[in-house]
Amino acid sequence: MKRVLGRLGHALFVLWAIASLTFLLFRLMPGDPTLNFLSESFSDEMRLALLNAFGLDKPLHEQYLLYMWSLLQGDFGVSFLQKRPVLDILLEALPNTAALTVSALVVAYAFGIIAGAYLAFARGTVVEGIAIPAALITRAAPEFWLGMILLAWLSFGLGIFPASGANVAGSEFTSEWARLTSADFLWHLVLPALTLALYLQGLPLLLMRATMLEVLNDEFIVMARMKGLSRWAIVMRHAARNALLPVATAFALGLGQSFGGNVVIETVFSWPGLGRVLVSAVQGADYPLAQGAFIMIAGVLVLMNMVADLLYAWLDPRVSVGAKR
Amino acid sequence: MNRRTLLLAATSLTALPHLEALAQAGQGDPVRPLVLLTRPQAGAPAAYQAAELIAQEWRKLGLQVELRPMPNQAHSQVVWNERQRWDATMWQMVGRPERGDPDELVFNLFHSANIATGFNFVGYNNPEYDVLAQAQRVEMDQPRRQQIVRQVQELVNRDQPYAFLVHPVNLQAFNKQVFAEASAVNQAGLGIRNFWNWIGLTPTGRQRDIIVNSTEPVKATNPFYISGAPDSWVTDLVWDRMMRVGPDGLPRPWAAETVTQVDATTIDCVLRAGMTFHDGAPVTVDDVVFSFEAPGMGNESPMYRPFVQNIESVSATDARTVRFKLKNPDAAFRISVLAKLNIVSKATWAPVLADYQNRPQNLESYVEERPIGSGPYRFVRSRVNEEVVLEANPNHWAKPKADRWIMRIITNIEATLGAFRRGEINVIADYTGDPDLLKGMAQSQATMIAIREGVDIGFQFVGMNNRRPPFSDPAFRRAMSAAVNREMMAGAAWNGQAVPSNSLVSPALSAWHLPGIEGRVPGANLEGARRLLQEAGYRIVNGRLHYPPGVRETTPAFQ
Repeated sequence: MKRVLGRLGHALFVLWAIASLTFLLFRLMPGDPTLNFLSESFSDEMRLALLNAFGLDKPLHEQYLLYMWSLLQGDFGVSFLQKRPVLDILLEALPNTAALTVSALVVAYAFGIIAGAYLAFARGTVVEGIAIPAALITRAAPEFWLGMILLAWLSFGLGIFPASGANVAGSEFTSEWARLTSADFLWHLVLPALTLALYLQGLPLLLMRATMLEVLNDEFIVMARMKGLSRWAIVMRHAARNALLPVATAFALGLGQSFGGNVVIETVFSWPGLGRVLVSAVQGADYPLAQGAFIMIAGVLVLMNMVADLLYAWLDPRVSVGAKR
Repeated sequence: MNRRTLLLAATSLTALPHLEALAQAGQGDPVRPLVLLTRPQAGAPAAYQAAELIAQEWRKLGLQVELRPMPNQAHSQVVWNERQRWDATMWQMVGRPERGDPDELVFNLFHSANIATGFNFVGYNNPEYDVLAQAQRVEMDQPRRQQIVRQVQELVNRDQPYAFLVHPVNLQAFNKQVFAEASAVNQAGLGIRNFWNWIGLTPTGRQRDIIVNSTEPVKATNPFYISGAPDSWVTDLVWDRMMRVGPDGLPRPWAAETVTQVDATTIDCVLRAGMTFHDGAPVTVDDVVFSFEAPGMGNESPMYRPFVQNIESVSATDARTVRFKLKNPDAAFRISVLAKLNIVSKATWAPVLADYQNRPQNLESYVEERPIGSGPYRFVRSRVNEEVVLEANPNHWAKPKADRWIMRIITNIEATLGAFRRGEINVIADYTGDPDLLKGMAQSQATMIAIREGVDIGFQFVGMNNRRPPFSDPAFRRAMSAAVNREMMAGAAWNGQAVPSNSLVSPALSAWHLPGIEGRVPGANLEGARRLLQEAGYRIVNGRLHYPPGVRETTPAFQ
């Protein structure tokens, strides 16, 4: 319990630091957000009125206190450009990002774990000679390139998958859940999720293979062999379970990181997620929206970090025992 | 050879090595290194390449020119708010329906009233111009006004406050297997991305939705807020206006059945009978009066307020007539006000206005759950970064031929082409990619794809800071403009999707454009630029351009 509380305190401190840095970062950027409204009718008086409306005419420390107080109340403010509550905009984009991230990670890690375990076992074979460079290439290849290749091949060429968006134009759904579970949505999800999964699978695959190789040399595996257990039982019941620890941590961290890191894939596939909200907010100097998006992404990352930490301690009690000492 | 000639020859030979120094002694200071601001290559590839071509030509005139790419925000900050600091900048004016009348650009870009904080950020100050800009604004006789607008263009050509570069050529496409080709409406300067096309495009088969792409997301759908170009396509369709800018670029009655100029400052509009809002309530003269009064109340609609400032009063004179009394005559009133302001429901907005007058926010912050207008399309929904869906209003007198109008936000231009080919969208109205790709596709699928091209109302230019020497000298500006090879620029930087420009009035606006002006840039070319500089007293010494005799360089270089 004490450990959980400690981790929670740590996470809150990190979130406060991120919130403060985000606040300062946007105010240190050159230019003021009123420049987005430039038109022939734009006068200085209008600019001042806008600054006033945005609260940007107040001293910096006042803006900061106001901002932190609002955050504590769960109020992310109102978008400068869209004039809607930031939370509404973020929550509208969040399900799309969550669906993309989780599905890609599950596919990437399921594949990575199985393939990694197999490749550790198939060390020195032709399969390993082909599979390892292939995994490294897909991991090193830029996401946008991978995405464009898949688009050109499976969408423009073979016409199997749609080229953009998360739903067919103008499609109607009774609820958000109905939309997210519709065949239409899942069909649109395949290409972006596949691209992200291809990009992500390298890490669990290589990690699993490396830890498996390490574990396979441990004494308890030799013992298992001496007991006459089958290869399958040795790999899956003994070796893989022990090798999974770092992979489980990587999964939780990957989940956090991928939430904010899908900008490129979202742009290539015109996927309406958080990454694009963040980019357009930064481009438009929409401080509240950009801050909100950053904090939400950081929040997920910090939360997943904490989960990974606790998960690791749960999976491997030696970690918490070490901490007590 | 006599002794005198010998002596002269000897003196000349002795003096020869010092001639350049002598010339330099009589000449002004060398021109400081100049900085040309531009957007980054990734953000505006064509403009960046154009800037490179310009810098290259200016260097041939003995100038040291540095190209300085800046992020959009920082670029706008310097150009707009630090007006004394910069030398020259790449900039653009985009085409909008209300720019079909030249007043907006003629008055705002170069009138001296806008030097301090308005759109005359280059600081062009010429009383002769101010007189003409004001005269065209109050001249109600069309032929006389056309004459003045042409004089304006002559004056701008003489003074070259900008070096105009090109007018982009819009490249758009639609699926002619889905829509009757003859039903597509082209609007001068805007192409098929226009109101008339959205209500006129006629489906021929089962696919009855117009599905159009946009590379930018819609930010807000609010009749009192201008937040971006795609937003205005939506508001255009959801709310009616008293007049509309027609396909020919001229204003024509819309919600007003007739518009009558009673005298120079009085205009009567008779409201069309039987109009209703999307919620079924009738559109009345009170709604119209409110729509024109609301933006002027306090600072509730800062984006629309400037447009109503010339209105002395607006009142209903009978059940269908609204009378506008203006403070000053305004020849562009029909386009810039009557065809711009949205007619809103007083029943919806009056309580909101009263509420917001007691709040720190203004009307722009009010989000209608489902926006209600009286326009030919009804708002259905907007999903952030994905799509906006409108449906045809069956009760409208100009009911659209299509069932729905759907704008898809597609950020990837290759995916836009793929989506078009696959039928996910059926109109490409916002295309910024390689023109050859789209044209090639149209050629290979000639039975499916119809292409439309047209010169845009907008233009690209180099803004030269008229406050700072040497750009404060019209002769120098003329030479800088003459050095620009516009034909090459249109071909190389804009891939042939642009035509040379030398005027703030696009050739797309044939009623106002001064024909042939693009071929009459003073000096015409690089050689002409050298001649103009020579005539004005500038000299190249040791490879660097120097000011005319006696002129010192006192302006600090841009940092």
